[in-house]
Amino acid sequence: MANTVVEVRSLVKQYGSLNAVDDISFDLYQGEVFAFLGPNGAGKTTTVEILECIRPLTKGTAKVFGYDVTKSEDVKEIKKRIGVLPQEFNALDKLTVKENIDLIGGMYERKIDTMEVIRLLDLADKAKAKFETLSGGLKQRVGVAAALVNDPQLVFLDEPTTGLDPKARRDVWVVIENLKKLGKTVFLTTHYMEEAQVLADRIAVINKGRIAVIGSPQDLISQYGGRKILVVRKGSRELAKILQDKYGSTMFNHGGDVIVKVDDVKEMWQVLSTLTEMKMDKEIEIQAPTIEDVFLKVVGGRITEEGELK
Amino acid sequence: MIRPVVIFLAVTKNWIRSRSGLFFSIMFPVLLLLVFGAIFSGGGGGGASTLFVQNLDRNPGGTATQLSVGFVDALNSTKTFTIKDVPADSDAKVWARNNLGPLGGNIRIVIISQGFQDDVLNGTLKVRVGISYSTLNTTYQYFAPYLSDTEKWAYEQGLAQMRQYYENLADRRTSLTIALDASDQSGAVIKNIVMNVANAFNYHIIGATSVIEFTDESVTSNRYGAVDYYLPGIIAAFIMTNGIIALTSNTTEFKRRGIIKRLSITPLTKFDWIIGNVLSQTLLSLMLTAIMIVVGWIVFNVQAIPDALTVIMIFLGSVMFSGLGMILGGLVKDVEAASALGNAIAFPMMFLSGTYFPMDFMPSYLQSVSRVLPLTYFSEGLRYALIYRYTEGVLTNMAVVSALAVAFIILGSVVTRWKEK
Repeated sequence: MANTVVEVRSLVKQYGSLNAVDDISFDLYQGEVFAFLGPNGAGKTTTVEILECIRPLTKGTAKVFGYDVTKSEDVKEIKKRIGVLPQEFNALDKLTVKENIDLIGGMYERKIDTMEVIRLLDLADKAKAKFETLSGGLKQRVGVAAALVNDPQLVFLDEPTTGLDPKARRDVWVVIENLKKLGKTVFLTTHYMEEAQVLADRIAVINKGRIAVIGSPQDLISQYGGRKILVVRKGSRELAKILQDKYGSTMFNHGGDVIVKVDDVKEMWQVLSTLTEMKMDKEIEIQAPTIEDVFLKVVGGRITEEGELK
Repeated sequence: MIRPVVIFLAVTKNWIRSRSGLFFSIMFPVLLLLVFGAIFSGGGGGGASTLFVQNLDRNPGGTATQLSVGFVDALNSTKTFTIKDVPADSDAKVWARNNLGPLGGNIRIVIISQGFQDDVLNGTLKVRVGISYSTLNTTYQYFAPYLSDTEKWAYEQGLAQMRQYYENLADRRTSLTIALDASDQSGAVIKNIVMNVANAFNYHIIGATSVIEFTDESVTSNRYGAVDYYLPGIIAAFIMTNGIIALTSNTTEFKRRGIIKRLSITPLTKFDWIIGNVLSQTLLSLMLTAIMIVVGWIVFNVQAIPDALTVIMIFLGSVMFSGLGMILGGLVKDVEAASALGNAIAFPMMFLSGTYFPMDFMPSYLQSVSRVLPLTYFSEGLRYALIYRYTEGVLTNMAVVSALAVAFIILGSVVTRWKEK
């Protein structure tokens, strides 16, 4: 196992009688992308801000690079080693992209050349543009650039794509994939299922301050995602009956599709063979379960585009 | 580069590139100085008040009498008024209202009554005879022991006839009517000027001269104009508003947008942050002072020249009000509340601290209030430094401002939140 970068044990954060973070434990390993997936108010940002040393914890322990987030001498060491893209990143409007990154860079004794970071984030042609003139996606890229200017070993990205259009979101994904290639450890929080599934090496599903499940996307899907689905577009009731009699778990939906749930690849091939023998020329689609299915299973709801649980 | 300097450079650049920030921090104070200067400098010539004069004292031929014309000339010689003659046969108030001009203004009328010349001459003769009788009588009382009985008798006969003549002269006095609007705030001043002209005219007619003379001198070593006295007050007031209102709003805005939170994740300490902002405010204050003085030199021929004490005073005032701004910025959450709180503190302080008008004008209880306001000491210290060159006064006020600056910065550091809850 790689080196442990973050170590959280029985962490609790209380606001009055509310447990915003309720007895969670997890580790982060060097070089991985770790995603906290959960709806708004789940405790994602609270946990991240405790690790960033800007929010005190109530109970438990949290260590980053072995340094304790509650000790002021340790906090100085942690701050030198982490880079942060906070939720809803903002910078000084009248300063240029370069000046804003210089501002953050100026806070560190050890930093890398600003233009190098700017080029890394593909912002060279915007280096002299004022922050206020940038689009939402570009602003997030500036935020990531600012998070990298001190050459951190661990990068926190708190909801990096919230509010962005699909193209800008994909651009940020590319940036995160590049961070992984650079060997950075990334702690990502998100309420987008696809984002977590595509980017993360491991995902922790968090809801109401508690971690429901934790593991790699593949492990979580195979463990909690349920069965694979084979869909025959524009089938018939007769076909549905044949497949039901032979394999069970078959239904005919309102759209005229025949849906068969299969347990494994072997059973799927058997269904496909049956369809081939029947000389079936209908369109066939195979749907694998996703993290969304995992979430639905372990939390019992879905997350809207706005991040609310329903 | 050290962190407070990085913050100072970033915050200052951000401010300099903001048009609204630049307007309210620099241009607005300059505009106010120009307005104040125009009002109080007294220059420009065309500012004389209109005074309607109706002369009812006429010769049989209908022309105005010589003395009444002389009185109107005396009023004119003050150069305070633009005299407008009201026809003798009209209702003065109605005529004045109809002839006030397109810009309106206050109606001020002096009516010279009929018989003005006769009454003045008669009154003058009686005063002169009375003085002559009194002088001769005193002389007689002094020399009587040395006179023969014949001489005494002749002298007493003469004095008796003179007294008889004096008593036979009618005791007539002339009067002038001054009609003013009750709401006219300058009415009392206008009335005083007219009365002074009448007294001077009176002395001149009876051949008397004033025995007390006034010598007009300045209490400062240089000859300063009114704008010189307002300048330190305006500078002090805007250093205060820049600190309290602008810095509070900026801090709250940075907080709302998560900029302070982003910086708090770095090794920057909140003390570094405060020092950076204080440095930026100090630069702004020095720029404001320099621009105001240069505008004062060019437009109003202001004489004030800042010295080292002035610069130190401005630095300390900036620190003091930056500290106060940091306290307020730390206490409030949103920009609207910050602006409201800043205004609620800044504006009463501006008017109660003797910046725009002397504290002597205020009732004693308000003067007591002004003694606990930081701006009072800053503005007074700046005035002593820039105008009076009164070192002891500067140092006393500087001591108070320094103490408050330290206290506000410490309190500002305490209330500035560098960690979430």
